[in-house]
Amino acid sequence: MPQLEVPEIDFSRYSNRQLVGPPVAVMLLALVVIGATFAMTGTPVALDTEFTGGTELRVVAPDGQTDVTQPFSAEVQSVQPVQTEENTFIVSFDPSADPEQQQQLAEDAGFEVPMSSSTSPTFGESTQRMALIGVGVAFLGMSLVVFALFRTFVPSIAVVVSAFGDIVVPIALMNIFGIKLSLGTVAALLMLIGYSVDSDILLNNHVLRRSGDFYESVRRAMRTGVTMTVTSIAAMIVMAVVAYLFGIQLLTSIGLILVFGLVTDLVNTYMMNVTLLRWYKFEGVTR
Amino acid sequence: MSAIREYWRVTALVVLLLLSSVALFAPGLAEPAAEDGTVAQQSSATNLQYGLDLSGGARVRATVDGVTATGVNVTQDNQNEITQTVADELDLRLADVRARPGQNGGTVEAFGEVSESELQTALDNSGYEYDSVDPGVTEATRTDIVETLQAKIDASGFAAANVQDVQAQTGQGTHYIVVEAANRNVSEVTDLMTSRGVVTIYANFPRDGEQVNETVLSQEQLQEGQIGVPTTVRGGQPAVPVTLSDDVASQYAADMTEYGFADEGAGGTCEFENGSANEGDYCLLTVRDGEVVYSASVVEELGRSFANGEFVKDPSFVITATSMEEARQLNVDLRAGSLPAPLSVEDTFFMAPSMGSQFKTYSLITGILAVFAVSGAVFFRYREPRIALPMIVTALSEVYILLGFAATVNLALDLSHIAGLIAVVGTGVDDLVIIADEVMAEQVSSRRVFQSRFRKALWVIGAAAATTIIAMSPLAVLSLGDLRGFAIITILGVIVGVVVTRPAYGDILRRLLTMDR
Repeated sequence: MPQLEVPEIDFSRYSNRQLVGPPVAVMLLALVVIGATFAMTGTPVALDTEFTGGTELRVVAPDGQTDVTQPFSAEVQSVQPVQTEENTFIVSFDPSADPEQQQQLAEDAGFEVPMSSSTSPTFGESTQRMALIGVGVAFLGMSLVVFALFRTFVPSIAVVVSAFGDIVVPIALMNIFGIKLSLGTVAALLMLIGYSVDSDILLNNHVLRRSGDFYESVRRAMRTGVTMTVTSIAAMIVMAVVAYLFGIQLLTSIGLILVFGLVTDLVNTYMMNVTLLRWYKFEGVTR
Repeated sequence: MSAIREYWRVTALVVLLLLSSVALFAPGLAEPAAEDGTVAQQSSATNLQYGLDLSGGARVRATVDGVTATGVNVTQDNQNEITQTVADELDLRLADVRARPGQNGGTVEAFGEVSESELQTALDNSGYEYDSVDPGVTEATRTDIVETLQAKIDASGFAAANVQDVQAQTGQGTHYIVVEAANRNVSEVTDLMTSRGVVTIYANFPRDGEQVNETVLSQEQLQEGQIGVPTTVRGGQPAVPVTLSDDVASQYAADMTEYGFADEGAGGTCEFENGSANEGDYCLLTVRDGEVVYSASVVEELGRSFANGEFVKDPSFVITATSMEEARQLNVDLRAGSLPAPLSVEDTFFMAPSMGSQFKTYSLITGILAVFAVSGAVFFRYREPRIALPMIVTALSEVYILLGFAATVNLALDLSHIAGLIAVVGTGVDDLVIIADEVMAEQVSSRRVFQSRFRKALWVIGAAAATTIIAMSPLAVLSLGDLRGFAIITILGVIVGVVVTRPAYGDILRRLLTMDR
């Protein structure tokens, strides 16, 4: 039987720069990807019709139909095949299309339309603004609680920066994997705030509030923290894979985003956060 | 008894699990409509209710077209006068302007495609003062709309449908009217919301060599009487039987007589096509939302009864329609009344019921498999069923309690809730791992040592829980569909976890680890 053993890393062998380098590099790379997407499209990540306005139809084409765009009168923005369902496609239109008309045309052409959604641009814009405010307030609230809990700057900022990285890297990966930002995927990004602070608080707590050797405290925190994160990664991989096989896109996206974020969290917590704490403990305090 | 007192946390957990079982499985506890306005369809096996994502149906969200001036000096006495003046000024129907007295100054609303500046000009021109003119309509009108829509839904036999007035919390705080209906498609719901359903009966007759239209029965007048069930009359024509009230009947008979419908030769001649009648014809037109849905002549016998007073004695007649569907539509409009203001559709969502129920099964399987994954990871790590098994049982009981809660408050479960539940299992197990690791860091020598370590673990759990709750609470308040349900489930999960299940796990562990001490 395989055993889940948390590896023991001898942190004292690495310099601060060696430890902080990789997570900072990954975070910067993510910011470059997001910046480039922003420069090209005007948004940091592709937005779903819930945010931009527009119409999306899930259509099941009859056997042998090769051109799914053929029945529609409005301009088709994109056609995405649903990988796991035969002859099933997600067809999207910009907001100028009349959703009912397109649905009627699809049905007239012998397509089945098991799911449809449409949003007006103004409504999408207000949803977008509201979601942005929600996420902003959530992040700010999290930061304030963390500062209130530890009441020292460096350990608190370490948690906040780590959580920031845990969100930024998955957003960059969403761009690469073509996952659109919808209300559901925003939920996944917020879930990362919750998962991220768990292991960070654990680490800070062990190092700051317990007596004993720094490396010993880190080792203990890591044993627990890595177990926690790996358990969650296992759950999310299963959720992503199973939901993918069943063709439930929302749960697939949420699972994937969380896997990205949790892996990033392992790197951020045990390379960047540990380093910041070590610096704080050995150099920052005495100064 | 002492065991119960000693392990009161476990006792509390068991009690909650029992209560959840009652909420989930006791027959007759479920109510049809959900509190948060989502259309809920009940599954047969449990009292759980499912939202559109998992049961299928349509949701349409719309804004009300209109502008409102506030701070206008409207009183009971000048109400009608203001309405009339503003309607004339804006060239609107009387029904599209509403002046209401109010405690902090009255309001004047204009419905339809009226801009703010147009209403300002109209008020300025007619010399009424106002504080401000804003887009949107008053709460009274929105309530009116919600009630009318609800009545229309009831009259049209929509199963499990729900109407709500929802306000956006940001920006201009726009209000949305949201209708959700199970087993309906978007176009059915949209039709219901966007057709005003104003039914009027006009007389079209010759006067001074020209065909003219006069209103003989307005919707309000028709509604004063009794509206019957759609039926077929002679010749197989679908029709809605109507019995007028006495006042309306005599007015109607008088008008019809005056317009010449009782005259010899008026009966039996009506050729109404392309919006106009043949010269000299006498027609009775049924108009719905400005469109003639039916035209017919008045049979001679009925014409005579207008004049000789027989009609007033028995004021019942039928409004004929071209199809049964149209007759039903007329019936709904007459019963439920018309919408005070037109609505613009902002977003729609549709999920076929078959696909929804498929998603329901699939997401259940996904959840169960995710729990297996977590269990597997925990077993591999501790290789000690005594630690791992209670951990998994505890995490699952959190989900069970949340489901029980969902059944109790009639929360309609959607995909986002399922994602939230899986996340709750994740954070729950995380916390249990913290407890287990902390407690077993070294040999547990006594109950006192156990308690002190357990308390340390609780600090971390509490801190993490506080951050999660704070982070999620803005989303639980904002009306952001998917995000809201997810945030509520997450917050509840964290609270149930911190207050009940995680301490209970501590008790179980203590029992197992300090058994003989």
